Amino acid sequence: MKSQTTGSGLMYGAIGVVVLGVVWESAGRSGVLGTTFPPVSDVVTYLADPAYRTLFGRAVGATFSSAARGFLYGSAVAILLATSGAVLPAAKEGMDRFVASVHAIPLIALGPLFIVLLSRTGTPAAIAGLAAAFPVYVAASAGFDDTSQTHRDVFTVMGSGRWSRLRHLQVPAALPGIADGLRLAAPAAVLGAILGEWFGAPRGIGILIVSSMQNFQINQLWASAMLAALISLTAFALFGALERFVVSRIR
Amino acid sequence: MSLDLLLEDGVAHIDLVSSAAPADLQLSGVGKDFQLRRGTSVRALDAVDLEVGHGEFVALLGPSGCGKSTILRLAAGLESPTSGSVTVGGNAPEEMARSHGLGVAFQDHALLPWATIERNVSMPFKLARRTVDEDRVAGLLELVGLSEFAKARPRQLSGGMRQRASIARALVLEPKMLLLDEPFGALDAVTRRRLNIELQAIWARDHISTLLVTHAVEEAVFLADRVVVMSARPGRIERIRKIDFERPRKPELMRSSEFHAVVDELTKSLDDHDEVVGP
Amino acid sequence: MSQINTDLVAPRIATRSASLPKVGTPARATDSVSVIRRVGQGIWNVLGWCVRRYWGVMALVLGWHAYVTVLDINRIVMPSPGAVSQELLTNPGRYVDPTLSTLTVALVGLVGGTTLGASLASLSWFARAINGLLTPVAVILRSVPIVAMVPVLARVFGYEQRTILLITVMISFFPTFVFVSSGLRATPPGSEDLFRVFGARRLTLFRRLALPSAMPNGLVALRLSAADCILAALVAEFLMGTEGLGHVFQDTIGDLDMLTAWSAAIIATIFSVTLFLITRRLERAGHRRWSA
Repeated sequence: MKSQTTGSGLMYGAIGVVVLGVVWESAGRSGVLGTTFPPVSDVVTYLADPAYRTLFGRAVGATFSSAARGFLYGSAVAILLATSGAVLPAAKEGMDRFVASVHAIPLIALGPLFIVLLSRTGTPAAIAGLAAAFPVYVAASAGFDDTSQTHRDVFTVMGSGRWSRLRHLQVPAALPGIADGLRLAAPAAVLGAILGEWFGAPRGIGILIVSSMQNFQINQLWASAMLAALISLTAFALFGALERFVVSRIR
Repeated sequence: MSLDLLLEDGVAHIDLVSSAAPADLQLSGVGKDFQLRRGTSVRALDAVDLEVGHGEFVALLGPSGCGKSTILRLAAGLESPTSGSVTVGGNAPEEMARSHGLGVAFQDHALLPWATIERNVSMPFKLARRTVDEDRVAGLLELVGLSEFAKARPRQLSGGMRQRASIARALVLEPKMLLLDEPFGALDAVTRRRLNIELQAIWARDHISTLLVTHAVEEAVFLADRVVVMSARPGRIERIRKIDFERPRKPELMRSSEFHAVVDELTKSLDDHDEVVGP
Repeated sequence: MSQINTDLVAPRIATRSASLPKVGTPARATDSVSVIRRVGQGIWNVLGWCVRRYWGVMALVLGWHAYVTVLDINRIVMPSPGAVSQELLTNPGRYVDPTLSTLTVALVGLVGGTTLGASLASLSWFARAINGLLTPVAVILRSVPIVAMVPVLARVFGYEQRTILLITVMISFFPTFVFVSSGLRATPPGSEDLFRVFGARRLTLFRRLALPSAMPNGLVALRLSAADCILAALVAEFLMGTEGLGHVFQDTIGDLDMLTAWSAAIIATIFSVTLFLITRRLERAGHRRWSA
């Protein structure tokens, strides 16, 4: 698959997206899926309408801020946990299990907990943090272990301490993996923020999505969902670029 | 060193090394077992006595699987012996490693891909928490002919250049003991010969006590003061051959008949033993 | 095209296989002191093993209990672990139907979506053009939080069980398609040439080479989708208020019946974790069987 990542892959990708758009548009126009499935042009027009700019602007601002805070805290905690696992091998196995179990908890089941522990405005960021932490933890702890036996041997013979090894060998070796983890964590944080909003945050894309679902505001529903997807895709693409940069520096 | 081993080469000489100062590397009665699954184990080394004197270059020669790399790993403190004792400069190898007294280079150059050659060579200073001696690093890069490539990254260099950098890194802290595990094993014959000549010249300046593991007879004879021939299953020292060629050794030496005579002799003793052990 | 990092999702977490420690040798000694010592040693070993592996989970439950008791929180706001387990033991009947309903849609959707994704990926292996068109779309949709799109799908397809099923199918379809596609192409270097030299037909190539090399990837996708399917089912039930554990949640949170809400959350968690563990085990078995 890597060989076709270049020219032809990009072309196929463009064609694929265009085909998707055409199918969406014609399905919407023909109305085969009913009145709740608008053509893509309607949704884009609705999004571009200046009348709704403040509404969408405030919602995006709220969701983005929750997702970004969650992303930052979640990644920081994940990297901290992975680092302590790398420095304290005895604790690592239990830590891996702990993180995997926490990740397997359905995010929505955490709602009641966060409503008790935090305010309703804090819940989106907290769930976003939990959602973002897992891919970063997996990537970082795998990255710290991703050193060759010879490298470890050379460091041992050169009399490196645990911290020097972490700083000069394990951390640089883990950076590409961590960048990849951050890339996967970005959409996860957006999803977490939206789920958190469903537990009663005052505003945000998630609120907009649910309220327009309940009030049959079809164009607004689709437009909000599209915005959520766009935020997620942009973050994904940005961190993808970061990852490629890190890989070019490290490898 | 025991007398019969000395006599084996037909030259009885007084071993100044062991009578004066304690040897820089000393293995006494070393055995090493590796645990396999289900409680069985395999004997990799058996009753190995070996020493590397101060300022001496010793080459370990033998077929693959004879445990020569295990001896090097024991000396580096990467393994511990099942029986017997290993000391470097009178201390445990691990202690020597912790006080940054060992230099090591493996077949895999193990340079850090994200750091420049210069930073790779100065890495031991950082691990020892000392300030980097820029002059020392620059001098070593000059010595191994990499001055122009100080700012290059390992992947931009050829295999031979990477091994030069790896050896420069091993030498940068002026180690008490230099351990080389097939450092040129992955190189082509021409590059390998050239690097042997260079290593000989570098070594001739400081005479750092060195243990070289190799399976190339020419390399061992050209570089070493003594060549230790090993046999496999379990790894044992078969014979020790003293190499008396004058130092510094010139490339012409490799084309001399005396040199070839020694190489043939050692090749024969490797082959002879293979016949005894082989199926 | 974004590159798919199978490394990240490959079984990295706790790769050591689960094996119980040896509980001392059977006591052959005649004196009882030694027997007690051995038994004690055995218990001690098992305890140590549990702590090493599960200290995180234990800390979580203990922390929950401590939080509730020390801060003396009103049990209406946040029930203790004891209260929740008592509720589950005394009123199990309340939770059977919702649990079955959630599990059914999640599992049927998981199996259906995975099968569909793997079949389409195989089909597109034979026709590169289909793959070229589908892969970018699948990769884009994979980076979109589909669970957040549940309201849209609910509106389009109606507040019904089959909508939830459709959602869970979609959720498992995209990752499976992407992973199996890349797995079908990740054959060992040179092996395709080797097969061609031997004159293998395309179908043979697929069966003997591409399919085995895609199996580990397919199982990775299964693990990734499993937890998402349960989450999606819960979210859909929560938002549409049809049936299932998600509906129990939504109902009881509204009424501030936190004991029931927490019990439903715990059941959902237990099943989600169990499904995760099963799929992770499958993934590891597949990795051992098919990966070099």
